Amino acid sequence: MAASDDDALQVLSGDDQDDGAYSSDFEEEEADSGEEEADLDEEEGDFDDEDEEDEDSDEEDGAADGNVEANDSANHEEIREALLDYIGNGNAGADGDEESDDREAADESDSSEDEAPPRNTVGEIPLEFYKDEEHIGYDRAGRKLKKQARKDQLDSFLDRSDDPKDWHKVYDEYNDEYVELTKEEMGMISRIRQGKLPHAEVDAYQPYVDWFDWDGKGHPLSNAPEPKRRFIPSKWEAKKVVKLVRALRKGWIKLDKPKEKPRFYLMWGDDLKVNEKTANGLAYIPAPKAKLPGHEESYNPPVEYIPSEEEINSYQLMYEEDRPKFIPKKFDSLRHVPAYAEFIKEIFERCLDLYLCPRTRKKRLNIDPDSLLPKLPKPKDLQPYPTTCFLEYKGHTGAVSSISADPTGEWLLSGSRDGTVRVWEVQTGRCKKVWDMGGSVFCVAWNPNPALPVVAIAVSNDVVLLDPEVGDEEVQLNIAKLLAVQPSTSEPTENTPLIGWKRHDKLRGIQLSHQQNVVRVSWHNKGDYFVSVSPDGNNRAVLVHQLSKQQSQNPFRKHHGRVADVLFHPARPFMFVATKMHVRVYNLAKQELSKKLITGLQEISSMALHSGGDNLILGSKGAKLCWFDMDLSVKPYKTIKNHKEDINAVAFHKSYPLFASCSDDLSTHVFHGMVYSDLMQNPLIVPLKILHGHQKGERSPSGSSMLQSYPATSPGVSDIKFHPTQPWLFTAGADSVIKLFCN
Amino acid sequence: MDAGERQVQVRFTTRLGSDLRVEATAFSLPVHLNRYGLSQIINTLLALDGPRPFDFLFDGELIRTTLEQLYLSKNLSAESILVLEYILAVGPPELQSSQPEKDWVSAVNGVNPSLILSGSYDSFARAWFPDGTCGSVLKGHSDAITSIAVAGSSNDTDLDVITSSKDKTLRLWKVGSFDRVSIIVPLKPSSSTLSSVRIFKGHAASVQCVAANPSNTQVCSGSWDSTIKLWKIDSEDEDNEDEQALKKRKLDGAKQSIAQVTAFTTHKEHTQCVAALEWPEDRYIFSASWDHSFRQWDVETSINTLTMTCSKALHCLSVGGEGSLLVATGGADPVLRIWDTRMPGTVVPVLQLTSHTSWISSCKWHRQSPKHLLTSSYDGTVKMWDIRSKVPLQTVEAHKDKVLCTDWWREDTVVSGGADCEFKLFKYTPIEWL
Repeated sequence: MAASDDDALQVLSGDDQDDGAYSSDFEEEEADSGEEEADLDEEEGDFDDEDEEDEDSDEEDGAADGNVEANDSANHEEIREALLDYIGNGNAGADGDEESDDREAADESDSSEDEAPPRNTVGEIPLEFYKDEEHIGYDRAGRKLKKQARKDQLDSFLDRSDDPKDWHKVYDEYNDEYVELTKEEMGMISRIRQGKLPHAEVDAYQPYVDWFDWDGKGHPLSNAPEPKRRFIPSKWEAKKVVKLVRALRKGWIKLDKPKEKPRFYLMWGDDLKVNEKTANGLAYIPAPKAKLPGHEESYNPPVEYIPSEEEINSYQLMYEEDRPKFIPKKFDSLRHVPAYAEFIKEIFERCLDLYLCPRTRKKRLNIDPDSLLPKLPKPKDLQPYPTTCFLEYKGHTGAVSSISADPTGEWLLSGSRDGTVRVWEVQTGRCKKVWDMGGSVFCVAWNPNPALPVVAIAVSNDVVLLDPEVGDEEVQLNIAKLLAVQPSTSEPTENTPLIGWKRHDKLRGIQLSHQQNVVRVSWHNKGDYFVSVSPDGNNRAVLVHQLSKQQSQNPFRKHHGRVADVLFHPARPFMFVATKMHVRVYNLAKQELSKKLITGLQEISSMALHSGGDNLILGSKGAKLCWFDMDLSVKPYKTIKNHKEDINAVAFHKSYPLFASCSDDLSTHVFHGMVYSDLMQNPLIVPLKILHGHQKGERSPSGSSMLQSYPATSPGVSDIKFHPTQPWLFTAGADSVIKLFCN
Repeated sequence: MDAGERQVQVRFTTRLGSDLRVEATAFSLPVHLNRYGLSQIINTLLALDGPRPFDFLFDGELIRTTLEQLYLSKNLSAESILVLEYILAVGPPELQSSQPEKDWVSAVNGVNPSLILSGSYDSFARAWFPDGTCGSVLKGHSDAITSIAVAGSSNDTDLDVITSSKDKTLRLWKVGSFDRVSIIVPLKPSSSTLSSVRIFKGHAASVQCVAANPSNTQVCSGSWDSTIKLWKIDSEDEDNEDEQALKKRKLDGAKQSIAQVTAFTTHKEHTQCVAALEWPEDRYIFSASWDHSFRQWDVETSINTLTMTCSKALHCLSVGGEGSLLVATGGADPVLRIWDTRMPGTVVPVLQLTSHTSWISSCKWHRQSPKHLLTSSYDGTVKMWDIRSKVPLQTVEAHKDKVLCTDWWREDTVVSGGADCEFKLFKYTPIEWL
């Protein structure tokens, strides 16, 4: 290798002399040779006694006189020779020119030098093996190499004294001969002894020459030498590792089990649902997907997408928000499509949105809204219930205020603000009877006892009992007896009776005059007792009347508020008194308050009792409907806000699981209300149908020109009653019409 | 005729007389033809003097569509020959006469061809002459008449007429019959007032319906007290009236001594008002009730032999069809349901005819034809039906208000009464039911 380098250098040096111009590559080569030159100088200083070599180099120096570069190349020659010497073949380096001529030859000579003839061919075996032999090994021909006779002390002393260079000689055990060390080898030994590098030409501390031109180059990397710490393991890291290892051994650190990937996963899973939290607590919210453009967005849409003139004009009539954002239009080519006109506006609005929108994360609950709805049976499965109006009962001239069906279902009684009470035939809608009561009728009630067809009518201050003449002869006789005023009860004057039972002036019946307006009458299920309610009557607001004895009594001394409605329990001796916000249940047998129902309503307007007697519904002025399960609690089992305006009446069906409410908003809501005989099962309430059909009536002002203050009439549906046997519903409206809704 | 239009092969058959018969060869007819077009073709083939409308039957159903739709709906091959039977069509009824009454007309009866009976809410029943004049007024009830039945054939000199009323009684009247020859009766219209011969008492509520048996010996009545009572017409039990009945009679204020009849059988199985009765044969009675059921009763044994339940309250019932096996019921909805009594226990009727828009107030099978029906409804119309077609044959806007009753009379007339206080007769071309 050294020879080839030299060759290259020699060629270079020749070129340099001619041109005198250097590329940066060449300069580096030069730098190398320069270093070697410096080494040589030192070597020369160390080995003054090496004459021959010096002479050679002098000759070379002389040949390249006056030129620095030529000198350098000459120095190279010396280096080469020094190296060769070091290898220990002085002869080989004798003629450098010859070697440079033929490179192949030089290589061969190198290898021959390496394999240079140890005389002995035993190889590298311990020489003890031949300790007791006469020979020390074999030469190339296989002949034994005889051990030379050992010199004794005297001979060696004599040799030393004879030969001044004897101390140069070293015994070579292997070849069994004395080798005379060369001058270079001696120098090398002496340098090793001094602690120096064995080769004088190697300079460990040569000055650093920065060959790179740094000025103005702006090198991006630091050229500071790599610090030591880069090459040694960190002490602190080692400590940390020790700590961790100890913690692991003692079980302070528990390694996580490798997460098991689910065996099956949704390959095409909806990426919109990816909502996992990342490490910093932010959830990934996928951007909403924009609708893909369709045919209408094309610059050349199909004809059916292009709106006609009329359609475009009709857009102008629509509200700004409802107008289509984009009107498809046809262009001859894509080049003719103008810039998007709304671009600036939309960007501006987008910016406004971004600027004005609150930066709060809304916690989205991923709940199916259907699951929040209670599981109710379908109305279709709960038939029959009233749906269609087939029959209307027309004849009243004022708002119909109250209706009542007879217990057989053949007749219907209605009272109106026009001062008349009518009896209708349910099947045909024919008016059978008209009574002119001479005052506004507030409430009518047909006796629930089918054997005693008597009607009670609340007309302004009176309750009038009349005979609708629908029974057979026997019944008619009975009624005639009942409705004949017994003189014995009206005559005795030991203490003035509460209410006078008088013969009605014009009609065949009994008139009970109250002091205030009577707004409600309701019968007991057996048909003997009935109760009248006059809310302004203070402590005489509720009066109970007995038909058979023609007596009236006042069961309450005091009322907690204005009484709105009173009902009898169908079987047991209970009475329900509804005041403005509460319903009190009185036990008539024990004469005590048994329960007080807390409604939470604004103002109770009406009340209806389930035929079982344990469930009560209330309608209120605040458009709310309350269902009470009295076995359950004194608070409502369910409160339904179904109407838009005040509820006027509520009703239960006697046999079908139906109830309904009507309101001023002209609608009647029909519900399925199943009461189970099992006490553990709560009533099932399902809204079924909203019935419309009534017209808006006029709201008559309360307390108008008349002296007495009349309760205001409702402008909507004023009363509802179910047919006693069929799943039909009668509704009475302020439009003076009664409608029958059938299943 | 469009040359490119498709044609089908049609062959006509008929059961009409030979003068209305066409040759039984197949004709190639365009598919767009409907009943009217086919009728025209038959008329041209027969070369009749005046046009006569025909109706066409295919597979027992009346054709109400074009031939093309018929082919499509029946999945017929276009190459097959269509065999159509033609019958004489029922012409549209035309108003013959309209008689104002004093009150709502609640019942009509056209059983007897010599006179028509009507009952009204003014508590009177009237007998009408065929020319539409009032023959006699039956006075006696104190409340609205609900139903009229006729016992006795037209051969008798006097007809037995039974009326039921809301005053909880039935009354029997003897009405002189007038045959067709003596239309110009010596009796002056509305001058004759008849009084009842017998009074049937016993119901506790309004009597809603009455029916007489074909042999004219008994009547049955249904009432709001949910009972059916059977009475004998010619009962000889006047003498053994008990004292109570006598008392009642006095209370009734009847001046003349009217024979009072009590029921001999009472059926109480119905739970609600018995709204309609029919006595098609002496053996059994049919009844319909508001309790959603109609029942068959055996007269001899007084046993309820059949009960079928509908989903709506029933208001009217009629027995007819082939062998009187079909029952038509109408009730509190606009659907006319036809039931087969051979399938007891079914919940679904064999046929539901929907065209009315309000409650059906009465339905009547044609007395001879097993296919034709008449219904009246609260929507003010009277409709004629052929059960071979789902659409009504004819619709008459009969009254301005609710139509409460209707009946066939003779072969060519329909009578109806309504809440507009009119009693009307409509003429139509006679039904050929063969």
